[in-house]
Amino acid sequence: MSPTKSDNSVPISQLLEFYERMLLVREAENRLSKLFADGEVPGFIHLSVGQEAVCVGVTSALETRDTLASNHRGHGHALSKGVELNSFFLEVMGKEEGICGGRGGSMHVADMSVGMLGANGIVGAGIPLAVGSALAHQVQENGAIAVAFFGDGALAEGVLHESFNLAALWKLPILFVCENNGWSEFSPTGRQFNANVRELAGVFGIPSAFVDGDDVLAVNEAASELVTAIRAGEGPYVLECVTHRVRGHFEGDPQKYRAESEINSLPDHDPITKLETIISKRRIPKKEVVAIRGTIEARINAAVEAGRGGNAPDFSRAKADVYTAVEEV
Amino acid sequence: MSPVTNLTMPKLGLTMTEGTISEWVVSPGDSFKKNDVVLVVETEKIANEIEAPADGVLHDILVVAGETVAVGTPLANWDVGATAIPEVSAEIEEANATTHEPEKETAAATAFAEVRKNTASGAKSARIVATPLARRIALQNDIDLAGVIASGPKGRIKAEDVRAAIADDASRVTLSCGVAAASPDALPSRRAATSYEAAAARRLSEAKRDTPHFYLSTEADAGALFLLRQQLNSDNENLNISINHLIIAAVARALKENEIANCVWRDGEIVTYGTTDIGMAVSSDKGLFAPVLKDIDRLGIASIAKAARELAEKARTGQLTSDDLIGGSTTISNAGMFDVTYMGSIINPGQSSILGVGSIREIFRPDELGQPELRQEMGLVLSCDHRIFDGVSGLAFLNSIKANIEKPLRLLVS
Amino acid sequence: MADVRYAKAVNMALDDAMAADPAVVLFGEDIAEAGGPFGVTRGLLEKYGDRRVRDTPISEATIVGAAVGAAMSGLKPVVEIMFMDFVTIAMDAMVNQAAKARFMFGGQCSVPLVLRTPHGGGVNAGPQHSQCLEAWFAHIPGLKVVVPSNPSDANRLLKSAIMDPDPVVFVENKAMYSLKGEFDDASETIVIGTAHVARSGDDVTIVSYGAAVNTALQAAETLAPRDISVEVVDLRSIQPWDEATVLASLARTHRLIVLHEAVTAFGVGAEIVARMSDIGFDELDAPIKRVGAPFMPTPFAKSLENQYLPNAKDVIAAVEQVLA
Ligand SMILES: Cc1ncc(C[n+]2csc(CCOP(=O)(O)OP(=O)(O)O)c2C)c(N)n1
Ligand SMILES: [Mg+2]
Repeated sequence: MSPTKSDNSVPISQLLEFYERMLLVREAENRLSKLFADGEVPGFIHLSVGQEAVCVGVTSALETRDTLASNHRGHGHALSKGVELNSFFLEVMGKEEGICGGRGGSMHVADMSVGMLGANGIVGAGIPLAVGSALAHQVQENGAIAVAFFGDGALAEGVLHESFNLAALWKLPILFVCENNGWSEFSPTGRQFNANVRELAGVFGIPSAFVDGDDVLAVNEAASELVTAIRAGEGPYVLECVTHRVRGHFEGDPQKYRAESEINSLPDHDPITKLETIISKRRIPKKEVVAIRGTIEARINAAVEAGRGGNAPDFSRAKADVYTAVEEV
Repeated sequence: MSPVTNLTMPKLGLTMTEGTISEWVVSPGDSFKKNDVVLVVETEKIANEIEAPADGVLHDILVVAGETVAVGTPLANWDVGATAIPEVSAEIEEANATTHEPEKETAAATAFAEVRKNTASGAKSARIVATPLARRIALQNDIDLAGVIASGPKGRIKAEDVRAAIADDASRVTLSCGVAAASPDALPSRRAATSYEAAAARRLSEAKRDTPHFYLSTEADAGALFLLRQQLNSDNENLNISINHLIIAAVARALKENEIANCVWRDGEIVTYGTTDIGMAVSSDKGLFAPVLKDIDRLGIASIAKAARELAEKARTGQLTSDDLIGGSTTISNAGMFDVTYMGSIINPGQSSILGVGSIREIFRPDELGQPELRQEMGLVLSCDHRIFDGVSGLAFLNSIKANIEKPLRLLVS
Repeated sequence: MADVRYAKAVNMALDDAMAADPAVVLFGEDIAEAGGPFGVTRGLLEKYGDRRVRDTPISEATIVGAAVGAAMSGLKPVVEIMFMDFVTIAMDAMVNQAAKARFMFGGQCSVPLVLRTPHGGGVNAGPQHSQCLEAWFAHIPGLKVVVPSNPSDANRLLKSAIMDPDPVVFVENKAMYSLKGEFDDASETIVIGTAHVARSGDDVTIVSYGAAVNTALQAAETLAPRDISVEVVDLRSIQPWDEATVLASLARTHRLIVLHEAVTAFGVGAEIVARMSDIGFDELDAPIKRVGAPFMPTPFAKSLENQYLPNAKDVIAAVEQVLA
């Protein structure tokens, strides 16, 4: 890959946009963490705090018609792909008005209207879905591409290997994004996968890029380049983003398995702090940053209120959605 | 040829009036051993395995599985080894010896179906096995399934059986009579047996079933006994000797005189007791007990009276120990205080006889000159275990008792 | 009306569906160049091109997973799993993805995919190439399961399956591919979930599906001279299944036998029996019988497999029992 563009070349408006989008994901998840602790979010949730640069950097390179298949840690993928904030909170809080009617929750947020094919509770399962979606784009020649987001843990799933192979064989318009946060549940990547994702891609003849996943500018630059190539019909690419999972595997995980030094070093990798440093070096009025913070907070407050005001899902409506109703056919 | 006899629906509980055959374990023509399970009878909620009383061969099944019949209804006939069951009279044996032709069997089955029809109103909880469709058709046509003859496997009533019953006008008439009789008030009430009642029922059923009883009866002139009692008691008020105490002494002496009477049947062996122990039936709030007086041949009449009084008191106050309840070959059941002439009793399990003593009655008997003489007589019925006694030895024992009662002075000589 | 082989009838349905709708695509192992391991997809690559008719690598999990993603993105994929035994490897895609997407995404999308796969023994294919695993899928809310018993039904049901908005497992039978059957191109379409009374009778109803329907018909034919009149209901689809037709037949004959080639234990028959003993309880004049394979893997040797597979004799024995 070509070296990262100098920070100065990125327009201020774009920096602020990245900032706002990352902050949205961060604050939304921080709020979910609190709501979860307070018992307002049922089930279990996986937060991507510390990984916001990856989802924002990649999705900023995409169009709405492009499709995305995600994994269990998918809040950032959903929000940055364009899932509306209120319906997102309503869903995660298990309400009828949620984007999925309260049927899926945190691990299954999906919005077909923005190409979000869904978070997924099965490690690795989203990858062939994205392959199939890319096949659809290819057959329909609609110019769209598909993106598969997966963690380093999914590298050990056979279906990923099959998917690399099939995508390469069929030259499918797909970007495989590996969010390598070094951990797969409570095990370090080194104990899980005896290769690395770019080597694996190379075996199938899939070109790959490697970026600092905590640097939104780097991620976006790399992703933009790959997306352009894919859209031009070059076939699949792999983008490995090395990043850091700040919170536990799920909320409530005390992370006893991580070294104190590692935990202490996490703030140094914070993608939002990093972007704030860049922003502060440019001549951007502080009040603009403050205003963005204010807007985000207000939006999230409103979304939480909307979530609280939502109705309990209707059982018969849920049951009616197991199969497509005949009228809809 | 060994005797053919009927197996009847046993009474397996105090409240049992009918039972349902849930399974025939032995098939016609099969032989069985004593204590083999021959069939399973269901009552209310309990399934009871009915065991063979002795080795034998099952002939004809008269009531098939699934049918519900009244207690006492013949269920099958069988050859029971070489051992006659004493209570079966010669006539029954003869009658059954000829019921081997198939037509008879069918006739018998029809007869039991009739029995069932007649008892159908009381068969509220008896399980009738019928297919769901048969039940529906019966309900729609006001047919009582209890009156329908089953043709399906395992005695199951099928739709065609109900249709046949509908077609059969006669059966409808019979049924409507049966239904009319079944006013709700007329239905017997039920309650669960207490554990004591259940245990007693089981014990008595076993005893009656497993011990081949036969009965001998006579009357004893009790005049001398009365006189003796009067004399003894007037001589010493504290003695307080009762007729029963004297009868105990009479039986004790008879036991000494008839060694066979001090034997019992136990697991295929004949056990002869070395001591003279006698059970005496005592009724209490809790029911009937038969505690055993031990070593009475060594006791004088005064000591017998004392021991009997103490034992009866223990029984009435619920202080009997299990030691008090074991031993002895015979029991005296004295119903003299009630109005009864003859009482045939069930032998207590483990013993070989029981003496039922009736009330003392004044009765004219001809004297040597043929003139009426007023006597005081008591009816005696000796129930004997045919495995120990035969008619002769049973009679000898009974006659000894009678003689000891009629010549009671000998009871004072040890 | 002409006679057409089962494999050809399936091929014709694929052909018609592809001609009618450009969203229909086919992929699977050896289905394009080779025309399918059983020749079912022969000629379609030539006709519709390699965009829409594709050979895949041996990657069942990804074949079906990709079908789900493609179906969520505007295609109507018809994928083939070479033997039903191999669906084990694609179970996640069917059970956790295809079956649940509509429900768990709040009805936002349907998953119009068809998974074609042949089940069944009778060709000495052994324990891993003979199984009838349809009950697994019928157990999963969100999936439909179709099992045609003859060429005409296979043709019409496959067209219905491809047009269906929801994921359909379309179960073929490898022993039947070469069988001929009456075929009328003008026959009306079959709505998935409607059974067919393949033979009318009064004394006993045999409910079956797939190739076993023919076993039932054979038994019925054998029993006819004995004055035993057997009704045969061909379910055609087991999820959803036509409760009403089965109940109506039971209400006429009052005796029911369920026959399938699959192992009886926990099978489709168990569901039908349970349901009929509930809603059809008062119609029953005999216990309901199941006839199916014993609880063991499909054996290889001819003699063993012959004994393993339920045949007309077994059906006749069951009929005799319910008529006792
Ligand atoms: C098929 C499957 N196996 C196991 C799990 C349990 N599980 C959920 S997340 C996870 C670890 C995934 O690690 P990674 O892919 O690196 O994602 P991260 O949690 O680090 O974002 C595991 C093992 C699962 N959900 N699905
Ligand atoms: Mg990870």
